[in-house]
Amino acid sequence: MAVKVVTDSLSDITSDIAQGLGITVVPLTVSFGRESFLDRITLTTDEFYYRLAHDANWPITTQPSPGDFVNVFNKLAQETDEILVITLSTKLSGTYQSALQAKSLVEKECRIEVIDSLTVAMGLGLIVIAAAKAAQAGANLDEVADLVRRAIPRSHLIAYFDTLKYLAKGGRIGKAQGLLGAMLSVKPILTVKDGEMSPLTRVRSRAAGMDYLYTSAASFSHIEELAVEHATTLDDADRLVERLSSLFPKERIYRSTVSPVVGTYAGPGVLSVSLLEAQGK
Amino acid sequence: MRQVDSINGQDIREMFAAATDWLEKSVSDIDALNVFPVPDGDCGTNMLLTMRSSIEDAYRAPDRSASAVTQAMANGALMGARGNSGVILSQIWRGLAQGLAGKDSFTGSDLADALLQASMTAYKGLSNPVEGTILTVVREAASAAQTQAASGNNDLISIMEAIVSAANESVANTPSLLPVLREAGVVDAGGQGLYTILEGALHYLKGDVEKMQFRKPRIIASSIPLVARLPQMVAADEVPYGYCTEFLLKGQGLNPDKLMLSLKRKGQSLIVVGDESTVRVHIHTLDPGNVIHYVTSLGTMHQVSIRNMDEQHQDFLEMQKERAPAIEIATVAVVSGDGLSDVFTSLGAAAIVPGGQTMNPSTKDLLQAVESVVSDKVIILPNNKNIVLTAEQVHSLTTKSIEVVPTETIPQGIAALLAFDYEADFETNAKIMRKAKSAVKSIEVTRAVRSTQLNGLKIKKKQAIGFLDGKLVAVGDNANDVLNEALAKLNLDEVEVITIYYGADTKPAETEQISVSIGQQHPQLQIEVVRGGQPHYNYIVSVE
Repeated sequence: MAVKVVTDSLSDITSDIAQGLGITVVPLTVSFGRESFLDRITLTTDEFYYRLAHDANWPITTQPSPGDFVNVFNKLAQETDEILVITLSTKLSGTYQSALQAKSLVEKECRIEVIDSLTVAMGLGLIVIAAAKAAQAGANLDEVADLVRRAIPRSHLIAYFDTLKYLAKGGRIGKAQGLLGAMLSVKPILTVKDGEMSPLTRVRSRAAGMDYLYTSAASFSHIEELAVEHATTLDDADRLVERLSSLFPKERIYRSTVSPVVGTYAGPGVLSVSLLEAQGK
Repeated sequence: MRQVDSINGQDIREMFAAATDWLEKSVSDIDALNVFPVPDGDCGTNMLLTMRSSIEDAYRAPDRSASAVTQAMANGALMGARGNSGVILSQIWRGLAQGLAGKDSFTGSDLADALLQASMTAYKGLSNPVEGTILTVVREAASAAQTQAASGNNDLISIMEAIVSAANESVANTPSLLPVLREAGVVDAGGQGLYTILEGALHYLKGDVEKMQFRKPRIIASSIPLVARLPQMVAADEVPYGYCTEFLLKGQGLNPDKLMLSLKRKGQSLIVVGDESTVRVHIHTLDPGNVIHYVTSLGTMHQVSIRNMDEQHQDFLEMQKERAPAIEIATVAVVSGDGLSDVFTSLGAAAIVPGGQTMNPSTKDLLQAVESVVSDKVIILPNNKNIVLTAEQVHSLTTKSIEVVPTETIPQGIAALLAFDYEADFETNAKIMRKAKSAVKSIEVTRAVRSTQLNGLKIKKKQAIGFLDGKLVAVGDNANDVLNEALAKLNLDEVEVITIYYGADTKPAETEQISVSIGQQHPQLQIEVVRGGQPHYNYIVSVE
């Protein structure tokens, strides 16, 4: 029985990829006022950004309840006796705790391992994809879990933000706090470090930001997987992918959009490059 | 006094339904407290939604036994848990249900035991239990319930009173356990939420449901007052704090008023309270010996405590320092003009040395700034050709590592500072900043101090003159025309951002005018106007 890989919707993997690789995605929830939506399921990224611009309510996000994970585990336990859950960073959400609590409540005998990825978005997505590929190839739970733990330090996320307003308002600004309050209009470039948002540098324009994303990716000599995400600017993401194709085969670059929950903190205009550095480098 | 010996499942349901209504009244207050683990301001809402889900399931319990109802509550909480505090709350209910398993009804001591189980379950469920949160509150409340039960007076109300009172104290104490709360001057939101639920349950048990309709839960005040952040460094010659001296004086015919007058001259923050036989004294003094010598002539001293406040203050400063973000590399910039100084500071410069074209700072000025910053690695941005050499001198005068990025203009300095890479080391950053400074063009517009001829241009005294990267390129009577002429020397189609810093003597309206006209000619440009407040220069313009 193959290991089943479970992650949360902040991994930003598309439903096509999830289906193809047999990954179960547990959604977080985003609410505008009294209306609640399942991340990426009952609300798409485009719909979310339309709401963000037009709804009077500020979006609120919620981690999945332990019960949500219990339901998923019980269902998967029909097909397997080994489940691996990889969640977004515990410094950004309590999703990991929910999964952990659910572990002890599963009815059937089933080994469940829960891992904190210390990252988010496609930084997490690429780790999950690698895990699912290994599971498909027949690796057992210990082997896949080991692979994931070794992949975590090799996963890098570099993101250009139009504004830090959303991150600050949502309480997830982390170490990027110092970038707030600049008296010039500057565009921050952030990464995820030790599980929280952390500053890399600042640029003056969107074009300079895209240069920075490209140069950052180019500074890695061996790239195993590469992903580009956008929120509202598909054209910029296309151009970035064109440029990155000089470093990495274009057809192998994963494309995705930030999920509504990620969008609640990233705001519009965000662009990111995630990459999995090849092992041993 | 009302006594309740035991209650069944139906009572529990009603009790926690009442407690949920009680919680609802202070949801927004609890949301506002929310700073840990992430300050997203939804803790109260999450706890309320978790409670609602819990109560809904309680009404679906298969029978009315305490066991079945608490089990249903636990299940409802689990399925509907929202947020971190909701998840922990669901663990607490789960433990409580385990503790009451098989019971039709329960007594005060049953509750005490079940709460202990709840506390243990809550801790066990977390990979990394943090004290100063709802966890501490449930643990201390459970412990108080045990003590109360052991005392023999264990009807439900007495036990619940002990629980609520311990929870109250525990919540008030959370800021001393969790620095982030102390810093924000609030108690833990989750702990406050649990306290409110328990308090609501107690009101129900006491039969105060009617009263609850017209009252609102109280938010517990932090046991530590919010202290404004003190500056990081204390000069050596600052007045010392001395010793905080406290004691109880016992004797006969003591006169607190007279004692107060006598002690007033010996120190500060004096408090003297008491009567003829016992007086409590609190004083901050530089010479506790003198105080003790005096009061022992009046009576006997008890509970004497003398603490060195300089030490306390030093500890406090250390604590502040630890909490301040560690800046490994500091940047010192030479800037004139309040607006420009603000720009540099807001972009992360650790120290500003006032100076510029007509006011070059001395090596000593720069050295002082370098020594004043906490970091051992310092990058200096001279921002003027004539100051670069002065900055280079600092190397040999300090044990700190120095890199001078030879910025010759303010725009170069800003470009360099912006490019600072938070992940790169000292030398790499110096390299990155050097590279960044060359990527920007600087235009400066000022007034000629005398008539002269330069670069083939005739200049009359007080005429506006424009420099492009230090080279004279335009002369005219009007500063805006000169700026336009200087800009015309550049291919603006390749430019993305123009930032105009206008000087102390330049009118914002004139700056606005030129910014609009540049924008009309080059709509693709991002143009920003910032008050620089610099002397002498009408405009300092960065083109990148």
